[in-house]
Amino acid sequence: MKRRWLLSLMAGLALMAAASAQAADPVRIGFAISKTGLFAAGTGSQFDTYNFWKDQVNARGGLDVKGVKRPIEFVWYDDQSDPGKAVQIYEKLITSDKVDLLLAPWGTPAHIAVSGVVERYKFPMVGDSAASVKLRELKPGNLWFTTAVMPDRFGPVIADALKANGLKTVAVLTPQLPFALEVKSFLMPALKKNDIEVKVNEEYPPSIKDMTSLLINVKNANPDAVLVFSYPADSTLYMKQARENGIAAPFQFVMVGATESWFTKQFGAATDGIVTMGHWSPKVAAWKKAQPFFDAYEKQFHEAPDYLDSALAYMSCEILEQAVAKAGLDKDGIRKEISTETFETINGPVKFNGVENATTPASLLQIQGKSMELIWPPSIATAKFEKKPAWPAN
Amino acid sequence: MQAILSWQLLFAALVTGSIYVLVALGLNLVYGTMRLLNVAHGDMVMIGAYVSYWLFTLSGLSPLLSMLIAAALTAALGALAYVGLFRRLLANRQLVQRLEGNSLLLFFGISIVIQNLASLAFDSTPRAYQYLDRVVAIGNLGITENRLAALIVTGILSLVIVLFLRFHIYGLAIKALMQHREAATVVGIDVERVQILSFCIGFGVAGLAGALLSMMEQITPFMGFPFTIAAFVVVILGGLGNLLGGMAAGLLLGILETYGVALTSPSLRSVLIYGVFILVLLVRPQGLLGGKRVVR
Amino acid sequence: MIGRWTIPLIVALAAACGVPFVAGDYLIGVALSLAMWIALTESWILLSGLTGYVSLGHVVFYGLGAYVGILLWGEVGGVLAVGGAGLASGVFALAVGYPALRVRGPYFVMLTFGLAEFCKYIVIDVEAGLGQFSRLLLGGPSVLQLYYVVLGLAAAATALTFFVARSRLGYALRAIRENEEAAETVGVPVAFCKLAAFALSAIIPGMVGALMVARSSYFEPSQVFDPIVSFTIVTMAIIGGSDDARGPFLGAALLVLLSEILWARAPQVYMILLGILLIAFVLFAPGGITGRLLSRPVKVKP
Repeated sequence: MKRRWLLSLMAGLALMAAASAQAADPVRIGFAISKTGLFAAGTGSQFDTYNFWKDQVNARGGLDVKGVKRPIEFVWYDDQSDPGKAVQIYEKLITSDKVDLLLAPWGTPAHIAVSGVVERYKFPMVGDSAASVKLRELKPGNLWFTTAVMPDRFGPVIADALKANGLKTVAVLTPQLPFALEVKSFLMPALKKNDIEVKVNEEYPPSIKDMTSLLINVKNANPDAVLVFSYPADSTLYMKQARENGIAAPFQFVMVGATESWFTKQFGAATDGIVTMGHWSPKVAAWKKAQPFFDAYEKQFHEAPDYLDSALAYMSCEILEQAVAKAGLDKDGIRKEISTETFETINGPVKFNGVENATTPASLLQIQGKSMELIWPPSIATAKFEKKPAWPAN
Repeated sequence: MQAILSWQLLFAALVTGSIYVLVALGLNLVYGTMRLLNVAHGDMVMIGAYVSYWLFTLSGLSPLLSMLIAAALTAALGALAYVGLFRRLLANRQLVQRLEGNSLLLFFGISIVIQNLASLAFDSTPRAYQYLDRVVAIGNLGITENRLAALIVTGILSLVIVLFLRFHIYGLAIKALMQHREAATVVGIDVERVQILSFCIGFGVAGLAGALLSMMEQITPFMGFPFTIAAFVVVILGGLGNLLGGMAAGLLLGILETYGVALTSPSLRSVLIYGVFILVLLVRPQGLLGGKRVVR
Repeated sequence: MIGRWTIPLIVALAAACGVPFVAGDYLIGVALSLAMWIALTESWILLSGLTGYVSLGHVVFYGLGAYVGILLWGEVGGVLAVGGAGLASGVFALAVGYPALRVRGPYFVMLTFGLAEFCKYIVIDVEAGLGQFSRLLLGGPSVLQLYYVVLGLAAAATALTFFVARSRLGYALRAIRENEEAAETVGVPVAFCKLAAFALSAIIPGMVGALMVARSSYFEPSQVFDPIVSFTIVTMAIIGGSDDARGPFLGAALLVLLSEILWARAPQVYMILLGILLIAFVLFAPGGITGRLLSRPVKVKP
């Protein structure tokens, strides 16, 4: 067993070396991703989307580097969900692998951890799956964030959506995870401002296995809206147990997981009416690149892209691609380009203010029947909010 | 506070507790008969869950049937582990001196290997399927059928195991081995065979518990570890090597966890569980429910 | 004995100091993690190797140090923060050591594990209660500075374990390992010795914890209290040999090397090899590399 592994590994390395010697001067792009460990279950869409983008660009003849088309080659490593390891990887990518460009790792912790590295080597990188107000403490200049759901923007947006739809009472369930707690901290004052009464407000550990006691309280309080700032595992748990407990609120929100294709596959009709976090949809007509991206992605993977992570990952690739087309591989040129220009992406135009995406609005998605609709804010909405129908019996 | 008196909560406590009963049973059996600390126990739960998941997804086989296949497979793994590794450990005089510690390290090695093989084979995408997914309403109480099925199966299985230990010749032999090893050999019990049997039953029951869980929870290669921990907490509560105490303690932990959380806050769940665990270890290591004093 | 091992150790230390002159940041990072593991495993051996009280929760000192470190760093600066982290871990060990060390064998193993998890969830609840969702440490020291400090700690931990193992305390601890009752009967102050070893083995991991937060510039409780750290320490000690200060060099070096070769492309393969190595060493070479291959275990003097 051991021997076979070593042999196949050596063969693989030899093959890789041979391949890199053959290709005609490729552009090497490095990144780290969590393939194992705590976050591994959540990183699939980002990784798939990076590869999807690479294949697309290579099929077009390569990455446009100031007019010269060169094939893209990825150099990536598994950071094992350890931000410390991510730091090592980006150091290796820059100093030892000498990659031409960087893509971002997965998740807020890894982004923050590698911010020091890109700063030290003055190596511009477009971030994606990270959101925290703490990001603004980072020195701007070499790292930008495409996300539109910064907690201080996203929290108030939820309160506005509730108010606009005449929902007056809420139950708030929050896992003890950084982003979730941060969103909640900005949501609470916004609810108060909008005169929305908080009937249940509980925190729970991310490893929760049974929500019954929470949901009994929710059911007894009978709120208009249930906001669960959950991640995939607890989103799943909520879906099962809210149905078992017959939670009947018209507005039921789970945060992460519902945009991924396995979610609708797993829960079928029960997902109808579920509201979730996301700021992209192929249906916004003004975003011309959105529908073609959706179609091409679906064709290749036989499932819809993740409305959150796939969209973010693809946006960061697009921004990098457009910057390189103008500035080439020169770091200073790329930095200047990204910090000042406006980029046309699948999520509409993006312009950065400091480290932050200043143009894309924070928004909410709702699963309506088989489709996913942007329901808030009205400026980009593709449909109106609909009350969640009763849970199906089976 | 009405929540405390709700049937819904009692049902949740029983479902949680009954899974703990099954998972902890195997751990206790292997410890009781051989003084081996099996930290790979939760990984058998994981394997059982994958067996049922794949059989259901690929061929539509009901997990209530495939749980027998899962149990057989994990029982076979148990026999393999015993014959391949632990017979050697138990036969080595130097190693036996620190048997618990060494067995813990061995099982830990096995656990790493199993988890990562599973992660290579199945990748770490969480998996789940829908089976017996209807919600039955009894008055104010809503019950998902698969949770009810799991509760019934664990109930029957627990009863069978209790009867087996009480009346079957091998059940009695296991008990004899747990209570007095030397005497058991003297009266002619085939120690080797009983030890293999303990491994098979212990691992098999864990695999079966995994099959039941697969109807209710997401499956990942690393899902087993929390069950290992829960099993250790249960076994410590009930007294290491005390089978009936452990079964009672499994239910107790389910109740403690569910009601403790309802009375305080879900964010205190782990603090509560580990708090009780530490306290029992410090104050009463023979277990809350264990009668006789163990030599520490 | 001292003479035979002093020179290679000093040579190794000198070579380690020279690493940054020939290596890039990446290799310095690798050397840093090697130094970290040596420091942690040496500290573990001081307690568990010598007394036989196997701690499966040593990450508690690392995590606590990391927490105290991040709390203090911005207020009083790095040097005091790291010192404070070591102090806090030591004091914590003294406080919990007395009741904990009365528990023996497998119960102690589980107790230490439970204690580490308990502390992790307490810190998570405290942080959530404070409205802190994670903490940043920006503008910390460079990887080069961190490397020299952690290297210093690794050397200090090695020296500490080396000298304790050869001191009166060391013989007392080994006596406890072989037979605690007998040791007590012949007049070894058992409780005091165990507690001293526990506290001594906690201080350096605390300091290392604070420094490693500076390395990743990010603090999140479930990351710094990750039980994998405890498991890795035990594995390194078992593979290297846990009776003496020499063991961790070989254990840590082997695993860090293995992980460097494999982690990038095949982390699962690395973990599988780790498991197989652990099984093989427990069954076939319980003395570890130092015990088996160098085949000259330290003789226990009466």
